[in-house]
Amino acid sequence: MYQYDTIDHQLVAERVAQFRDQTERFLNKELSEQEFLPLRLQNGLYVQRYAPMLRVAIPYGMLSSVQLRTLADISRRYDRGYGHFSTRQNLQFNWPKLEDVPDILAELADVEMHAIQTSGNCIRNTTTDQYSGVISDEIADPRPYCELIRQWSTFHPEYAFLPRKFKIAVNATESADRAATQVHDIGLHLKKNSNGDIGFKVIVGGGLGRTPMVGSTINDFIPRADLLTYLEAIIRVYNQHGRRDNKYKARIKILVKALGIDEFRSRVEEEWKHIKGKESTVPDTEFTRLQSFFTEPSYEQLTNSNSELTEKLESSTGFARWYERNTFPHKKEGYRIVTLTLKKAGQAPGDATAEQMDKAADLADKYSFSELRVSHEQNLVLADVKQDQLIDLWNDCKESGFATPTLGLLTDMICCPGGDFCALANAKSIPIAEQIQAEFENLDYLYDIGELDLNISGCMNACGHHHVGNIGILGVDKKGEEFYQISIGGASGHDASIGKILGPSFAQEDISEVIHKLVDVYIKQRTPEERFIDTYRRIGITQFKEAAYAKAN
Amino acid sequence: MQKLIKDGLIVENVYSLINDEDTPINENSIIPADKWLANPTHVAGIWLESDQNPSLLEGIDLSQFKVIGVNFPAFADGRGFTYARLLRERYNFTGELRALGNFIPDQLGYLLRVGFNSFDFSAEVNLESALKLHKPFDVKYQGDVNDPRPLFLRR
Repeated sequence: MYQYDTIDHQLVAERVAQFRDQTERFLNKELSEQEFLPLRLQNGLYVQRYAPMLRVAIPYGMLSSVQLRTLADISRRYDRGYGHFSTRQNLQFNWPKLEDVPDILAELADVEMHAIQTSGNCIRNTTTDQYSGVISDEIADPRPYCELIRQWSTFHPEYAFLPRKFKIAVNATESADRAATQVHDIGLHLKKNSNGDIGFKVIVGGGLGRTPMVGSTINDFIPRADLLTYLEAIIRVYNQHGRRDNKYKARIKILVKALGIDEFRSRVEEEWKHIKGKESTVPDTEFTRLQSFFTEPSYEQLTNSNSELTEKLESSTGFARWYERNTFPHKKEGYRIVTLTLKKAGQAPGDATAEQMDKAADLADKYSFSELRVSHEQNLVLADVKQDQLIDLWNDCKESGFATPTLGLLTDMICCPGGDFCALANAKSIPIAEQIQAEFENLDYLYDIGELDLNISGCMNACGHHHVGNIGILGVDKKGEEFYQISIGGASGHDASIGKILGPSFAQEDISEVIHKLVDVYIKQRTPEERFIDTYRRIGITQFKEAAYAKAN
Repeated sequence: MQKLIKDGLIVENVYSLINDEDTPINENSIIPADKWLANPTHVAGIWLESDQNPSLLEGIDLSQFKVIGVNFPAFADGRGFTYARLLRERYNFTGELRALGNFIPDQLGYLLRVGFNSFDFSAEVNLESALKLHKPFDVKYQGDVNDPRPLFLRR
């Protein structure tokens, strides 16, 4: 994991002091609400429905057990004893007091954490695959490159007041895209050219929100040394030409669409030629330095054949289910990647109590070199678990509510905080998630349905990524009443696509029934090898639509 | 009249900013760039509106201007940060680069890093208070106008 040096520490300390001063001036009325707004936003502080919300950056999802315990501790002392892991691998506190925020930031700085650029119209936290560095088919570990981008984007003097927020995600494997890179402002696909040199395919102009779009490839291979100058060129074009008259049309996707990818590309090339090869070109020594933070832990020499494990898989359906769904093959023999799911029925998706955070930190210490990752699907991951400890870990997970064996299934929903917390939301989202969890509580049935991404957003801002859910649910406001629009056919991986809206929106109480009808169509129509999304792509929307709106007999 | 912050000091503003059609122009005027382009005259300087990229000045000898201003219609309009950098790094302007309009003192750290050295704040800004913020952080990751080397070339 990346470790701060004196420079990183000093920078974060300077930011804490600056924000303390800004907060004091705001509380003393020396700064107006309007002036304080972008300053607090650049530091992850929103004013929400009932209280401020503070979003803490978890760079590319990497978290040490010490950091997680600090987050738990902060949630106890400054909040209501829980936090919410977001789809961009960050953590949100929903109830801090404004005047406490400088102290919270100071405590975060002690464990090399901050809230810098977690909101506002600037470059946000760079995200990546939660399995980085531990899967066998990765082209190279993306985390050193994420750290390079983190440093380059942190307090970038030119890009703190962009037309709108700007999100970058990095993927490094051809078999999957777990970071939803194609629906980011910039998606980077790490690859090697025919000489074996590392570089990136660059995708630009993806995004969700009101105008969901899958990004377009702007360059098929940018050598890694040129990555920063190329990013600089893209954002410089965007900073000058992105729309500033309408915040709903201000994201880079709108500019790329308006100009067309070819014209946008030629503007970027024109800009790039001035800075390509200049000082921001990254020397190999810097890559070597960054890679030195992400070396392998001291793995033991083990094998995959573990008789105790094989026996348990045969004798315990519960364990077998958990193993099948919540664990993933590791690049090292004798190890396994384990997801601690935060999707227990009765708990808002992505929420973790202080006790759960402490417990997860304990499990990381006990089983996984004291490190964790946060996933885009709002779960926690232990990346390096020895296979002979899986049974013990499973038992520990069950006690702490982390063992819900539904990763990737219908109830492993992505869900925003919604109208219960968020001032922007048109409708509540958590009660919808609860309703669906209750409807689909039967595990045999869930397993029979198989892989299905169900995503819920409380408004058009699409924090719950409803557009790229195989089934997406969007809260809408109809004359002061909460209704829900349902779309199907979205996907966020390499086959990214935007879902299609079924038709008129539904009342809250009907949602789980409608979802049931959609699932029934799939079950009736599927071939043995098809997932929900495959069947949808083969048969189209019509039958789903008819089922959803059919009058009860 | 509001004074200026220039090179870290509060000083008198000796030039007059022209933003209408009627005020007569003289050698102490800072006039709109398009007005100067239409009729090049001897003035103290020119200023760019937030939608006027410095490429507008391509081929013009910028050393004839004592001042180039960049207007911020609203502090959230960040185009001026790019323009300043282009004026310094691409068009090699070495004279006074002045921020105009509705930028705020809390932006000074960034404004200094992209090449502004002079700040014509709106009338309600207390310059003594603003001066306390006239300093970027002591450390930085990226290169900027004052030192183009990113941290990885300075370690």
